[in-house]
Amino acid sequence: MPNFNIDAQQDITYDAIVIGSGISGGWAAKELCENGLKTLVLERGRIVEHVKDYPTMNNDPWDLDLRGAMKPEDQQKHHLAGRSGFVGENNKHFYANDLENPYTETKPFTWVRAHQMGGRSLLWGKQCYRWSDLDFEANLRDGHGVDWPIRYADLAPWYEHVEKFAGISGQALGLPHLPDSHFLPPMELNCVEQYAKEQIEQHFPGRYLTIGRVAHLTEPLNGRGKCQFRNRCDRGCPYGAYFSSNAVTLPAAHATGNLTIRPFSIAQSIVYDDSTGKATGVRVIDAETHDVIEYNARIIFCNASTLSTTRILLNSTSARFPNGLGNDSGELGHNLMDHTFKVGAMATVEGFEDQYYKGRRPNGIYIPRYVNLDDATRTDQFVRGFGYQGAASRANWSAGTNDPGFGADFKDGLFTPGPWSFFITGFGECLPYHDNQVTLDPNTLDAWGQPVLNLDCEFKENEKAINYQIREDAVEMLQRMGCTDIVSFDNEHVPGHGVHEMGTARMGRDPESSVLNGNNQVHAVQNVFVTDGACMTSSSCVNPSLTYMALTARAANYAVEALKSQTL
Amino acid sequence: MNRRDALKKTAWLMGASVATPALLTQWQACQNVARPGWQPLILNNTQARTISALVDTILPATDTPGALDLNVDVFIDLVIKELMPAEAQENMLAEIDAFDARAQEALGTAFAEMDTDQRHEILTQEEEAAGTYNPNIWGGTIGEQQPVGFYREIKSLTLWGYFTSEHIGKEVLVYDPIPGEQIGCIPVSEVGNSWSL
Repeated sequence: MPNFNIDAQQDITYDAIVIGSGISGGWAAKELCENGLKTLVLERGRIVEHVKDYPTMNNDPWDLDLRGAMKPEDQQKHHLAGRSGFVGENNKHFYANDLENPYTETKPFTWVRAHQMGGRSLLWGKQCYRWSDLDFEANLRDGHGVDWPIRYADLAPWYEHVEKFAGISGQALGLPHLPDSHFLPPMELNCVEQYAKEQIEQHFPGRYLTIGRVAHLTEPLNGRGKCQFRNRCDRGCPYGAYFSSNAVTLPAAHATGNLTIRPFSIAQSIVYDDSTGKATGVRVIDAETHDVIEYNARIIFCNASTLSTTRILLNSTSARFPNGLGNDSGELGHNLMDHTFKVGAMATVEGFEDQYYKGRRPNGIYIPRYVNLDDATRTDQFVRGFGYQGAASRANWSAGTNDPGFGADFKDGLFTPGPWSFFITGFGECLPYHDNQVTLDPNTLDAWGQPVLNLDCEFKENEKAINYQIREDAVEMLQRMGCTDIVSFDNEHVPGHGVHEMGTARMGRDPESSVLNGNNQVHAVQNVFVTDGACMTSSSCVNPSLTYMALTARAANYAVEALKSQTL
Repeated sequence: MNRRDALKKTAWLMGASVATPALLTQWQACQNVARPGWQPLILNNTQARTISALVDTILPATDTPGALDLNVDVFIDLVIKELMPAEAQENMLAEIDAFDARAQEALGTAFAEMDTDQRHEILTQEEEAAGTYNPNIWGGTIGEQQPVGFYREIKSLTLWGYFTSEHIGKEVLVYDPIPGEQIGCIPVSEVGNSWSL
């Protein structure tokens, strides 16, 4: 394993500084280092070395006295991210300490953060879908938000570039609105999912059910092992089978000899030089000593994660930019989006009692968007669309908690697989609204004395109309499958639960109405790039991480060329 | 089952007005717990006897071990002590006392002293009023969870402790820590019991 160079130097000017080492930061580091740039990655948390720092990766339930449950003091430490339901004893060390990192909520928002090398790339859901021009042209067509400055054709080669290195498994469908990736072999549907596919595709022409497209290796790649189907991904994968910065991009960046990664380095602000109109470096607070240090670079990539990047930019004030770096448009902090989530239906599927499955597949099924694709699929209830994720499985012993009964027969019945159930849950597109915003809250400081973010964001009528349709359609599909005991749900959750926060420093064609240009450069400070979720101009209904990877690789290679040609 | 959510729901007493006669408590406190040598962390002796009897009634020994064999009562004592915030702890202990008082009122004897038929009679009544936990998808409870009764909580803890024990997880359920491959459809007969993990 790499022994990362953590010895950052203040007396030199790096070719590049990358703020953050998560999904997009790892890609920025890899692309910049491989192109010969001396790159300093600033990571606010600790180093997490692949495998070595995955202490819980092999835990069975009985290996922990409390069988994986978290004590009250740890629940308190993760009381914000804990709202997501994802934090537990086996992965808590990969979630940020919410007590040290508060935020304030004008309207409730669940902000899940991961403050260590690799960031949320250790914890993500790994679902990977290309966006299409249905997405990139959406704002232009219906007038919400501003037009994306790029189209699918601009990104397609970069999707392929990142897919070949990250490793994406999935099934090609040939759908224009959900372009196929460069795929490794797909995982398998189980019997009931196969049945669901047949029923849904038969009864609902234009709807498709496919295996989830995921950043898991189903074949070895570049020395990484294939998925062993343990489904313990969020503890770190000893095989490197799923994509994380720790297993994939940062080791590649390190291998060039050009990478320095400084841990415990909280990017406080970007330093701007009015005489050159460029940023000169990053002001860092050492998380352990609280010392303030500046590091210099020719270009700066902001990859701290959507809201943290925007917080840094808002904090980066100067005479030229009194309201935050590059905030001439007044759009910095605005147009925050997430996906709607946890709305759908679940049901029992009769039959298939003699069928089972092998392997704990870290993946489910996907039903691509089928509404508002064209005139024939147009609805007047809402703009944009939604897709579903879901899965079928057989009940295990835990169903006995609610089932009536106790005693010998009851117990003996819990050792064998129970009935099949199937659920689908929608992910709906969220429109970019100017008043869904984050601002600095000077009245609340974090553990390092820095103003925290105030979050003021809500789902509005269009998102609610999408959710209504998600629920209705989910029930209808389960009914047509012949399911019983159908339970529909809409948790009406607050934004953030999708952990797909996007926007707040959007790309656009016009500096008057956007923060970034078509190459992810801050319009007015062109040696600063933002390529994490902050850059997003709209939200699509598909998972965004693959698009962050592609945008980052594209911008990094643009930056390299611009440096070479001395246009930066 | 989301443990955190489940454990938050401990505040509701069923038939809370039933008082525990002080003399009875005193008498039972003098008895040893069912498990020789066990010093409960938070339960008193009476409560420990009740919990031991409950887990033994819910999951008795058959040709596989029972909950008592796998120390599920000891586990529940640990969970109440370590996982429940102070208020939830107090509520849970009060619920155990209230359960015993209801049993005493119904059949004239402590639950732990009852024979199997009597215990089944009590639990059948308790089950009717115990409510259920909402389904859970990806760590999130679906819908608004209504309070569940003491019986449902204890049953949940009992199954959790039993089925996540090493013996059941490795020797009874089908343990395959590193499947190595994923196959969508196979006959149940090729596996036998449920997968452990």
